[in-house]
Parts: sequence; structure tokens; C-alpha cells
Amino acid sequence: MLKWFEQVDTKRPVIVSSRVRLVRNWDQYAFPARLSPKESTEMIHRLEYGLRDLGTLDRKHYEFAKLEELSELERKALWERRVFNSTIASKKMPTGILLSDEEDTGIVLNGTDHIRIQLLASGFHIAELWKQADQLDDYISERFSYAFDEKYGYLTSFPTNVGTGLRASMILHLPLLSLGKKFGGLVAEMGRFGATVKGVYGEGSENYGALYEVSNQKTLGLTEKEILELVTKVALQLSAQETQVRQLSIEKHGLEAADEVYKSYGVMKYARRLSEKDAMIFLSHLMRGFADGLVKTAEPCPVYRLMLGMRPANLQKLSDRPLGKEELDMARAAYLRAELPELL
Amino acid sequence: MLCERCKIREANIQYTEVINGVKKEHNFCSQCAKELDFGPYSAIFDSDFPLGKLLSGLLGIDENHEEERAPQVVCPTCGTSYEEFVRNSRFGCPDCYGVFDLLISDKIKQLQGSNTHKGKKPRYHHHASETGALAEEERKETMEEGFGDVGEQIRILDARLHEALEREEYEAAAQYRDQIKALKEGTC
Repeated sequence: MLKWFEQVDTKRPVIVSSRVRLVRNWDQYAFPARLSPKESTEMIHRLEYGLRDLGTLDRKHYEFAKLEELSELERKALWERRVFNSTIASKKMPTGILLSDEEDTGIVLNGTDHIRIQLLASGFHIAELWKQADQLDDYISERFSYAFDEKYGYLTSFPTNVGTGLRASMILHLPLLSLGKKFGGLVAEMGRFGATVKGVYGEGSENYGALYEVSNQKTLGLTEKEILELVTKVALQLSAQETQVRQLSIEKHGLEAADEVYKSYGVMKYARRLSEKDAMIFLSHLMRGFADGLVKTAEPCPVYRLMLGMRPANLQKLSDRPLGKEELDMARAAYLRAELPELL
Repeated sequence: MLCERCKIREANIQYTEVINGVKKEHNFCSQCAKELDFGPYSAIFDSDFPLGKLLSGLLGIDENHEEERAPQVVCPTCGTSYEEFVRNSRFGCPDCYGVFDLLISDKIKQLQGSNTHKGKKPRYHHHASETGALAEEERKETMEEGFGDVGEQIRILDARLHEALEREEYEAAAQYRDQIKALKEGTC
């Protein structure tokens, strides 16, 4: 079974992935931070039981797990693969997760809120994801009465999620656009539209790999449709600008562009040690190379999968003993050597 | 401009401090800002809740006088006080919204740009408890005794029975089996 990030969407390569997250609460319990371990366990149990036939809705196979029973490493690996955020990954109280085999649909029970529905997809699929989330939401609401208020909408632990409880986001690959002097201004401009643009792995020049996440700032006072439109508009706008800069760069500096991609590929194909930072930079070049047709492989290469797979916890999981920092860099180089497809 | 603390990264946070009328301006990068202590504002640099804790910054204007000034409103359902809500930017339970409504309405508008929901409504309505007080009572009851609805109660016990069997805890399983039997007979 292919995981969501192993699929490649070549249609609009600047948009790497899409995500929809909905938070809901059951009106019979206080929010997670106010629940005792006993109450948490009881609630998770009831929720899990009520959702045991979830797979009949979307024909997916779900596994249930208790996060507190997973190892630290396993949790970190799931966090790296974006199944949940760092707050949930480090949560000490009982927390449950229903996760589809493809890891594209995950429902966290008793995380920051009682129910956190998340859908992920490779590429530009935000509208389809919302449709699925909406269906899952209806399915759950049929079984559990939501904490809902006519004025404030869906009630959540944090006032930043209240209303729709919807966070729609897309990850964009902006290696050229982000180099420009005007990029900061552009990001600020998007803020005025109500969209947040932030580096996935850090701020400014430290965001190795140039992946940026666009998401809605507000969750209240807008309809779900308006939120999706807003995020889509901003993502398409940035994607169009990136594409434009890339075309210009190929026209004017085609040889340099191709050279950078080939060199990065070459280093990854033969390196014996690679830090996360270096690997991210080289993979970013390669991602651009495939997107712009500067290099080709027989089958589309899921570069984003390599970006997730080479992160520490996921690498560590491939090894049967704990790895030190040096060994991790060696394991990373070995992983990329093995996974990189041959160029045509 | 470079960050005045590490002098390596670009400064992207401007921090203006006014102590006894003396104004000082600082420029930090987000990394250093995260490491420094800005009191209630520190959480802004915590990447998970960039806006979440900002509210406590908006609300808790003057920390020294906060206790005198903050109204002593406490949510009867979960016991969260308004002050606690301000400190953590976090509600205790769904009823908190109703209890703190007058105090938070404007603040939520400041944070979200609106205080009125426009989107989707739950597709299904449940005829559960109507008032908060009743909900609490019912919740306690279900926590201690089992669950309000008998059908639901049987389903839960059934799930526990299966769990117990899986764990080979046959004594507990037998207990659940007897409870289910008693419930079923009661309903007949």
C-alpha cells in the first residue's frame, strides 16, 4: 500500500502537498487539558468504539493506537511524517489515534481537542480533501454530539481554532521565489489576505529546502468555502510567481540551473555522509530539476518522500540499534544512495 | 539588520521595552527571541501556537494589577476561572464559552476578526442534556456508574469484555458478561 507521500502529482509540481484539519469536541466532556487520565481513557474508548466501522465510509483500513503505548521514536517518526503536530507527539496524557494504512487520514482522539481529523495528499488536492473531511465530520456527528454554539460555532480548547475548526494548508516549494529580495514583502502581503506563509523547517535563510506552508490565519467568521478559496488563491498566486521566476532562470541561466541539479544528484548518489541540512538542500535542487524537466527518470520520483524519509527518527527506525549523530549522517547518505532512481 | 544577541541571523523581531518611562528598542532573530524570556509574550515564538497565547498578551495587560482587575468569573462546569483562561489562552470545557461570553466576545473579535460563526453546522442533532448543570451531573453519573443510555452501556461493556478476553483477564471478562446480562434482562 502506497503512503500518501509516495505518490507524485506532476501536474502542478510547485504545490508539494495539501492538508485539511478539522477539530471537534464532544459536548459530554471537558476539554482534554481538564480531563483526568481516567476520564481521558474512558472517552477515548467510547470514541474509538463509536468509530470502529469508520472504514466502511471511505473504504480505508484504519488501525487504532494509543500514543502513550508507542515508543518515543515511533511517535517522533509519525510526527516527522506529519501525522500529528509536536504538541500531540509530546503529550503525556492518554491519546488515541485512528490512522489509515496510507497515513493520509488520521483522527487523533483526546489530543489538544477531543477529535482532530486530518487529511493529507500529495500535490494540489485541497478541494477533494475538504470533501472527505466534511464526510468524516458528518459521520462522526451522527454518532457523537458536538460542542457547538450558534454564535461561536464549533467550540475548541483554543480560541484560535473556534468557529469552523478548519485549518487548510498547502506546502509549496519556492526555491527561487524565496531568494528574491521582495519575498518578505510578498509574504506580508499574503498576511493581509488572511493567509500565513511560513518556512516548514525554519525562518528565512534557515529554511533549508525552501518548503513553505500556506494556511488560513482565522477560523471564525468565514465559511469553510471562503477559507479554502483564500488558501487556494494564495497558494496558486505564489506557485504562479515561482513558475515564472523558474522559466526566466532557465531562459537566462539554463546551463547553471541544470548544472546545480546534476551536481546535487551526483553528491547524493555517491556521498558517504550527509547532514539533514545538506540533504535538504540537495533534495530541493533535485525537486526543482524534476519539476522543470531539467533531469528525468523513467518513473516520477517522489522527492518529498525522500525529504520525509531522511529525517532522524525515520532513519533511526530503519536501523536495529541506536545511531549517533555521525552514524545517522552515514545512514542518511546510504538511504539516499539506495532510494535515488537512475537518471535517464 | 543582524540579531543583536547572536549577531549571526537576520533580526525579524522588534521588541520595544518601556520600563519606568524609558523606552528601549531591541532587534532579535526568532531563534534568540524564543530563548529569551518575554513573559506572557514568550509563547508567540513557540511555533505551535503562534496566535494561541497571543491572546493572553492582549488580555493580561498589566500583570501586577491583574488579580485585582480580572473579574472572578468561574465556569461552574469545569472550574476554570477567567484568570486561568487568560493565562493559558485555553478554555476548560465547551461551557466556558457561554460563561465568559461577555468578557471574551470582543477579544475573540480582535483575534479572529469576527465573533460570529458563519460556516457549517453539525449535520446531526442529538437530544442530549439541555443545560450545563444537567450535563455535568449526567457526565459524573456516566463516569461512575456507566452510561446513560442502556444500549450504549451494553455496547461499551461489550467492548470491554472483548478487550478483557484479548488480555486473557477472564475474571474481569466474566464480570462484564454478567453486567451485560443483567442490563439486557432489565431492559426486557
